[in-house]
Formats: sequence, structure tokens, C-alpha cells
Amino acid sequence: MTGHPESGVLAEYQAGLVTGRRRASIASHLATCDRCAGLSDQLGEISALLTAAPSPAMPDDVARRLDLVLAAEAAQRHSSERAVDDSPGHPASSPGPRRRWDFRLVTQRILLPVAAVIVLAAGGFGLSRVTGNSSSSSTTAGSEAAPAASAAASAAGSAQSAASVPSSSAAAAGRATHRSGVNPAFKAPLSFQVVNSGTNYLPATLRQQLASELHQHAQPVAGPQVLTSGSLKGCVLRVTEGTSQVTLALVERAHFQGQPAIVIVAVSGHDYKAWVAASGCSGSSDHVLATATLPGTSAP
Amino acid sequence: MPGTVPNSGPVSGDEWASDAELLRRHVAGDSDAFGELFRRHRDRLWAVALRTVCDPEEAADALQDAMISAFRRAADFRGDSAVTTWLHRIVVNACLDRLRRRAVRPVTSAGDEQALEALLTHDPDPARAADTRLDVNAALRMLPPPQRAALVVVDMLGFSVDDAAAILNTSPGTIKSRCARARARLLPHVAHLRGNRSASQRVSPAQGGDT
Repeated sequence: MTGHPESGVLAEYQAGLVTGRRRASIASHLATCDRCAGLSDQLGEISALLTAAPSPAMPDDVARRLDLVLAAEAAQRHSSERAVDDSPGHPASSPGPRRRWDFRLVTQRILLPVAAVIVLAAGGFGLSRVTGNSSSSSTTAGSEAAPAASAAASAAGSAQSAASVPSSSAAAAGRATHRSGVNPAFKAPLSFQVVNSGTNYLPATLRQQLASELHQHAQPVAGPQVLTSGSLKGCVLRVTEGTSQVTLALVERAHFQGQPAIVIVAVSGHDYKAWVAASGCSGSSDHVLATATLPGTSAP
Repeated sequence: MPGTVPNSGPVSGDEWASDAELLRRHVAGDSDAFGELFRRHRDRLWAVALRTVCDPEEAADALQDAMISAFRRAADFRGDSAVTTWLHRIVVNACLDRLRRRAVRPVTSAGDEQALEALLTHDPDPARAADTRLDVNAALRMLPPPQRAALVVVDMLGFSVDDAAAILNTSPGTIKSRCARARARLLPHVAHLRGNRSASQRVSPAQGGDT
């Protein structure tokens, strides 16, 4: 090579963009030319200087402004979801005392050996049957249900007195959530009612138990817990993911086949949807044992 | 607040959530998750916006545009890159959009000085960092926005060339080329940058101005 390479060429050389004979030529030139070797060093130094430059922290006023902007986005999103949830046909407005639920097995998802979570979503229940792990003797079955049924009956009774959030109160829960979503305080939590009940759901009596629970929805329940964070929240979000415009009607800590479980009921449009998942359910793993769909008030 | 409840901590109250998990929760309807994700990365996102547009107000506006966009488009995130890469991409693109729109009205030197002053007022350690940062921003301002963005992402934020290509929606070769041209363009100023840097190294804060 005759003459000195331009700085742009040196920079491309350093970046590995020059190949072949041209690269060899530049390399030999750099070996003998102090001036170009110095320039080459300086090019490398630019990167080092930029890397070493202190990184500015976000100014507080900018951080506050963006927090508010995002809080407003969250509130707007939430209120638009609410608008859909409050559409006519919402079962909360007419909790029929004798709704007949048509439970039927819809899907069967992951089977978990241990505790289960039963999630009921609004609508017509095709209650997919919740089955435990295949190693459990009491999994699906109608046959083994007999001894369990009486236990379940009493359990269901206690659950009725103890727990469930009325579906009409789902709207209230939604309003509460809505309020918090509008709150300019940025950490507006998505909250839902959580009920602790002694209900032991069993595969063979699931439909009756669920029907009882849903009938209880007409009655207000004193002192429900409100869940604002944690793995249960993550569980509910994960389980209901993909179901559009969900308003939770019930999140219940109960038992399934004697193991700690969570029951979740949600209203989606004119329907209820239900899921059953293991108690280990969290935002990172759902372990849904079954899902169900139930026709809402408009269904025959 | 009505309905205030016990246990009303942040989303990650009882477990640390990954960026991808927070984004997934956000898509699932969690009203906290995106804010948490933003707070986790906001200083870096601010740095890239500020370096790319070289103006605090423009940077704040661009970052706002970007965060709203990310909030709404979160479901589009496919997980083929890191969440941070995705966020940076949205921010950088918002910055370049602003610069394109702004291109019709040239930046005045008075505006530059105001911008730099504003930068310095937020400097956590002005005594030590001011000179270097002033020169870095002045230097970056000389670059065409595409070169500047590439240099910021690679040299200042430390992204790999491949990640930078994903952020800037171009090829790795283009990233290398833009960085090379940017460095060459800054070459005449390196002595000045280096001088400031070595000066700030020589002068420790405790010693004051003993040069």
C-alpha cells in the first residue's frame, strides 16, 4: 500500500470490515507507520472513553412523569376491560337461585399429584373433570366417590357458610380494582377477593359442590380477603391468560381430593369459565388440572 | 384508599420475577408488572434516550412515546430476544423518529448549551463527571443519528454487535460500519476527550484542583 489509509478505513479495519489482501496491506502498513499506528490506537481509545463515560441516572421529574403516564395507561386499559365486563347479560345482575349447571368434562390438562386448584370461570360450565395424578387411586372416577360424597356434602356445607364470594360481589371486586387502577399512585394493585374455605372438592361430586358454591354467590360474604400480590395472584393471571375480559367471581382456597387447592371462578361475557389448578400454581407455573365453561344467565 | 388491604406490596413481593415474567404478567392484565419492568431498567433506558437525542426534554418525550408503545405492544414480544433488547429497540426507534421529525429545524447552539446545562444539573457527581460528560455529549452531537445510535448502543451501553443490530433493526455489518464511521469522525476530538479524562483521573475529588 502506498500512502496512509484514511481514518475511516482504519476504523473499518478495526471493526473487522476489511478483509483479504487489503487487510494484510493495512496490517503491514500499521507495523511500520507510527502515525497510522497512533491513529489506530486513538480509535480504540474512543470506544474506551465512551464506555467509561458516566451514565446519567434518570432525573426524578422524568421518572415521576413516566410513572404517571404508565399508571394512566394501566387505568385506561383496566377501565376498557371493565366496560366489556359490565355489558348486559352479566350474571351478577340476576343470580338465579336454581340455575342448572351442566357440568361436563371439557379438557384435561396437566395432572398433578398433589394439591389442586379449582378455577371456575363464568359461563356455562363444561366442567372438565379434574383428575389427579395417574398414580392416585382416587383420580377420575365415579366409583370411589361414594365414601367421599358424604364428606364432600358436609364440606360443601361448611364452605357455603364460610366462604364464597357472591358473583354479584364480583362486580364490587371489579369496582374496587377499577378504583385502584385509576389511583394515580403507581402501584395500583390488581386485586381480587380470596376466600378460604374448608371445601374438599372431589371428582365425583364436583358438579354438586360447584353448584352449591355458585348458589352461594347470591349471598354476601363478610370479611373476604383481598389478594394483591404474590404467587396466587400470579397463578390467577397465568391461569386466566388468554381468556379475554375476565372478571374474577371467586378465588377460593379449598381442597381437592384432600389436598390443598385453589378454586377460581371468573365471568367472561355471558359465560362462566372455570379452571382447576394445583395449589403450587404461581405466575411461573399453572398446573391447571381442568377447565370448565358454564352458560351464563342467558343460556337455557 | 378504600379497599386497602394487607399484603399490598409490589408485584414481586414474595419472589423475584424475571423481565419476561413481568412482561407476561403485564400482558395477562397485571397493572403493576409493566411499571416494575420500567423501573427496573429506567436508568439505562434514560441513558440510551439521552445519548441518542442529546437533549433531556427530547429524551423524556421520546422515552414517554416508547414506554406507551411498549405498554400497548407487549403482546407482540415473541421472546426471540431479551426483554431489555426489545425495550431498547423501542426506545431507540422512538428517539430516531423524533430526530427525523426534528431534522427540519436545526438545533441552535443556544439550545445545545441549554441542553448541556440541563444535563449537568442532573449529574450525580458534577465535580468529577462534568468535563467528560460534556465532551461526550458534544462529541455525540456531531454524529449523524444512525451512527450515533449505533455507537451509543455498542460503546456506551455495551450491547453486542448482534444485539445492537436487533435494537436498530439492521444487520451486524451495518452496525460495525456505522460504529467505525462514527469513531473515525470522532477521531479529531479524541485528544481533547482523553485530556479531560486524564485530568479527571489525576485530580481526585479530595485533592481539588491541584493540576
